[in-house]
Amino acid sequence: MSEIAAALSIPVIRHALIGMLVAGSTLSLLGVVIVSLHLTAIRFTLIHVGLLGAAAGLSLGFSSTAGAFTLVLLASVLMGISGRRMSISASSVTGLFMTGSLAGAFLLLSRTGVPAMEVFGVFAGNILLMTRVDLVLVAVLGVVVVAAFVLAFREIQLVLLDSELARSLGVPVDLVTSFLFVLLGAGVAAALRLVGALLVDAIILLPGIAALRFARGLASALVLSAFFGVLACGGGFFAALYFDLPIGASAAAVSTIILALSSAVSAIQKRG
Amino acid sequence: MMPSAAVTPESLVGVTGEPLIRLQGVSGGYNGKAVLHEVSLAVRRGELVGIVGQNGAGKSTLLKILLGLLTPMSGTMEMFGRRIRDAGDRAWMQKRIGYLAQIQEPPAIPVTVADTVLLGRWGRSFAGLRRPGAADREVVRRHLELTGIAELAKRDLRSLSGGQRQRAALARALAREPELLLMDEPTTYLDKHARNDLMRRILDIHSESGITMLLVTHVELPGREFDRVLHLDEGLLDRADRTDRTDRTASDEGGAP
Ligand SMILES: Nc1ncnc2c1ncn2[C@@H]1O[C@H](COP(=O)(O)OP(=O)(O)OP(=O)(O)O)[C@@H](O)[C@H]1O
Ligand SMILES: [Mg+2]
Repeated sequence: MSEIAAALSIPVIRHALIGMLVAGSTLSLLGVVIVSLHLTAIRFTLIHVGLLGAAAGLSLGFSSTAGAFTLVLLASVLMGISGRRMSISASSVTGLFMTGSLAGAFLLLSRTGVPAMEVFGVFAGNILLMTRVDLVLVAVLGVVVVAAFVLAFREIQLVLLDSELARSLGVPVDLVTSFLFVLLGAGVAAALRLVGALLVDAIILLPGIAALRFARGLASALVLSAFFGVLACGGGFFAALYFDLPIGASAAAVSTIILALSSAVSAIQKRG
Repeated sequence: MMPSAAVTPESLVGVTGEPLIRLQGVSGGYNGKAVLHEVSLAVRRGELVGIVGQNGAGKSTLLKILLGLLTPMSGTMEMFGRRIRDAGDRAWMQKRIGYLAQIQEPPAIPVTVADTVLLGRWGRSFAGLRRPGAADREVVRRHLELTGIAELAKRDLRSLSGGQRQRAALARALAREPELLLMDEPTTYLDKHARNDLMRRILDIHSESGITMLLVTHVELPGREFDRVLHLDEGLLDRADRTDRTDRTASDEGGAP
């Protein structure tokens, strides 16, 4: 235990912990949005666009984070605008983006000779390289996500439940949807920074899915998501310190276990 | 019978009650292609009006125009005595309308029946930081009772049968305490028993509340219970006075005179 206390006295490790806790408690709320608006294909696309952005950032010699944020935000704004039409052809668009982005990323990286370790960082995250600026950015994003759900709770609930009904009541559905898309984009980019492209779902999606197994409404789904998110990120962090594991992978493992357990528990509940 | 081929708002001159809906020569459709052709329609306050038409006739399109979800391609639209031209007008009118959509898809996330009914009041008594209050819960409770689903209040909407979901949607539309209730095929997908039961409730609620109601469907309506039943055929609205309380025999199909 004293080893952990000693580790936490190192600023880099403290930053990592704070970053993981903030992300776990806030970005995890976006999973509920992904599930209810059927955006699993879209979030996949965003992850790959983020990869391309990170590769471009590395190749051009500035930060991978800036590259990922720029491209992912751009893509999510575009998707938000084209909204409805996107979902119709979602699978073909996803295939296009996914393969195209990956191909572009690998070509860029090999052409410009980015060191393999940095490339690995993009895929698996490199949370111990979090700067104070990164941390502030994640925190600001977290506040915006939570504020959005607090300020427009009923509007978001209506859009997630039934967008046609929402429209007929006068809810600015397109505005709400576009905003959720942008939040999702920013959330994916931030998670990419923390745990890497391959493990984004551990923060963004899995806690939400687990929460929806038990929730009785949107409010409880959000609270449970945040709880599972913190459990995954915090638990993963300390497990990583204790067993000397990579933080991202450890958090993803805990997240997976939470989802598996909650699926099992809810299956038993349904039968009983 | 009047000799005019189509109902015009002028046909209501001399009839008591202000027109709540007043469409004149309204065309509407999708992607620049008209589905409704110069429809004129007037509905007075307190009326119960049915519109019957085949699949694809444009019934849902007409309701979408009345709801402000679709902007007319031509013609004029007056609702509750106000010309509807821009987004501000539409928002103003949407506060006064309750809507029962054609299909009630079970949602992707959990919501209790009571909560979904409460959402019908969005824009009336709460929005954004203005939260629903005790008065809203009371309105919800009353309408759950009115539609006969009080015992389902705490159930997840997704666990309801189609007929129960339809009643929840009706309760939600009514909980808005609207001046005008628009219903799109409210009974079509229900079995005979549930259909009769829901229609009975709608008729009772109309006679007790006096809310103006417009119901569209492709199945036969109990014409004698309605003030008027109109026919929509390929985007053309047929004369209004063919089926009303003084002429109960002509509820079947037929051409213009
Ligand atoms: N979103 C849309 N985009 C393009 N065309 C549409 C759209 N919605 C409806 N249409 C077309 O408009 C016509 C009228 O459709 P509408 O849904 O109004 O018919 P309806 O009378 O409600 O039919 P039903 O009894 O099947 O509900 C149909 O030919 C339909 O194909
Ligand atoms: Mg229809």
